[in-house]
Amino acid sequence: MVRRAAALAFFVAFLASAGSAPAQGLARLTVVSFALASDTNVPRIEVPFRLILTLRVRERVSQIANINLPMLAQLELLGDERETVTGPRGTQYRETITVVAHQAGGIAIAPATLQAIDARDGKPKEWYTNGLTLRVAGAGPHVLRDALQLLRAIALALFWVLLWLFGIGCIVLAAVLIFRRRRRPAVVTYVPPPVPPRLPIVVRSRREQAEDALAVLRTERSRPAAVAVRAAIWRMVGASDGETLGDVLQRPDSHDEITRQLLIALERSAFTYDDDLPRAIDDACSALERYIGAAP
Amino acid sequence: MIVARTPSDLSLALSQTIVGQPGVIEALLLALLANGHVLLEGPPGLAKTLACRSLAAALEGDFKRIQFTPDLLPSDIVGTRIFDQRESAFATVLGPIFANVVLADEINRAPAKVQSALLEAMQERQVTIGPQSYALPDPFVVMATMNPLDSEGTYALPIAQMDRFLMKVNVGYPSPEEELRILDRFAVADTQPVRAVATLDDVRRWRAQAHGVHIDEKLKRYIVELVATTRKAGGVTVVSNSGGTFRVADLIDYGASPRATLALAFLSRGRALLDGRDFALPDDVRAIAPHALRHRIGFNYRLAVEGINPDAAIEAMIAAVPAP
Repeated sequence: MVRRAAALAFFVAFLASAGSAPAQGLARLTVVSFALASDTNVPRIEVPFRLILTLRVRERVSQIANINLPMLAQLELLGDERETVTGPRGTQYRETITVVAHQAGGIAIAPATLQAIDARDGKPKEWYTNGLTLRVAGAGPHVLRDALQLLRAIALALFWVLLWLFGIGCIVLAAVLIFRRRRRPAVVTYVPPPVPPRLPIVVRSRREQAEDALAVLRTERSRPAAVAVRAAIWRMVGASDGETLGDVLQRPDSHDEITRQLLIALERSAFTYDDDLPRAIDDACSALERYIGAAP
Repeated sequence: MIVARTPSDLSLALSQTIVGQPGVIEALLLALLANGHVLLEGPPGLAKTLACRSLAAALEGDFKRIQFTPDLLPSDIVGTRIFDQRESAFATVLGPIFANVVLADEINRAPAKVQSALLEAMQERQVTIGPQSYALPDPFVVMATMNPLDSEGTYALPIAQMDRFLMKVNVGYPSPEEELRILDRFAVADTQPVRAVATLDDVRRWRAQAHGVHIDEKLKRYIVELVATTRKAGGVTVVSNSGGTFRVADLIDYGASPRATLALAFLSRGRALLDGRDFALPDDVRAIAPHALRHRIGFNYRLAVEGINPDAAIEAMIAAVPAP
């Protein structure tokens, strides 16, 4: 809105300058051509485009006055650039107005006017350019075009990355092949390793394991020894690390009362308080003795 | 004449009255020994009121039942001050919370301010009415119930409030054999009242004994590791009802608080004492862990979406930590 108001103000300023023209006096000009054009017939929303006003006269003048631009209420004015070129064949005045449309649809631009004294007959006259009718199109194709351009850029970048990776891969593959070819061993005859003499497998019975545990517990009456003996007996009945007493008592090997009592006594020795530890170890030793006595 | 003097005797006496709910009896006794409170979730008609009433009777203590409703006020629980016209002075009327055993029935039916009033009293063990504070009786145990079947018009307990319960026990239906025993015992005109088998002084003595139950260093580390697993359940997986396997870590928003660590220790001690031991075992921790952790872990929406039982996820986490 602010910029549109600026466009109106721009037009009003031009009208004001046109109104004061008779006071300053009109220039004597031989008008050869006076035209208004647009750099596009189908401008797009939010895409700036240019209106170009061109005046050619035979006289050589330094500036052109008394040109009235049409009202550009449907457009937003972004810039105005004037250029006067004087040569042996006269003067060319070119004014480029950069605008932008915010709404789609048709826009009719009225002709621009020039007030001057016709040098051919010495009478004041007013010249008119052609009018313009533009159709502002939506933004869809533009956005699509941008997206397509982005996709194309991404695809191109991806292509280059893949090409580089392929090249690096080829180099690595070639290096590996060369390295392997160099290190290929000579053909050797397989000689089987000497077979060690077969040793008899010692399987300790549960009774012997329990005797070992009892010896350990009697020798070292401490918490770590109790914990170690507990772990050994648990392994003996097939339990794994991380099981609780409840899990171990569920096992088939723990169903007889003597084994259950042994497992419970060992659990006590591993978790009871320090003052109770000697009694707990005594109980565990007794339970181990009973187990050894009952074991085959 | 009072003959029982150990917690296991009390447990036996209660189990002779309450049929088919050993979990409820154990939860009540553990709460009593650990000086905490129990949250029970289960359908109606599962002897929750009977259990509380029987416990109070077995201890010669007071029992009060509060039915939580949407129009309940905090003063309906803790008490209020009324103006006595004859004396021309305010008199304090203590609420039903002043009892040794309190059954807060369907706690999630009352609005948040009423829940807060109860939970604050549970935590502080005292109530302030007007200018004066009143200590709650000792022992004081609250058993709150929630009905999982009928959630319309309920106010869910926030996690911070749930955390104040020492344990949450899911109550299930009894087996057909137990139901037959219930039929034989209670389908008669006169049922035998529970006789007193211990005193409130006994409870205070047992509590002191439970406090002295030894927890070995290995067991303490096991407890800490269990609770830590609920916060970072690394490679633990659980199988859904449809047979899919899911990482438990993906199902949890937040794990259990340090209050869970303390609860595990208190409850393990209580369970050891109930078993007649003065030292706790890994079995104690593993047995009570689901009840201590169930209400303290925040599961996310995926648990319900994938049809996973929260207890199965908790069991998977417990099983993932090797016992010492």
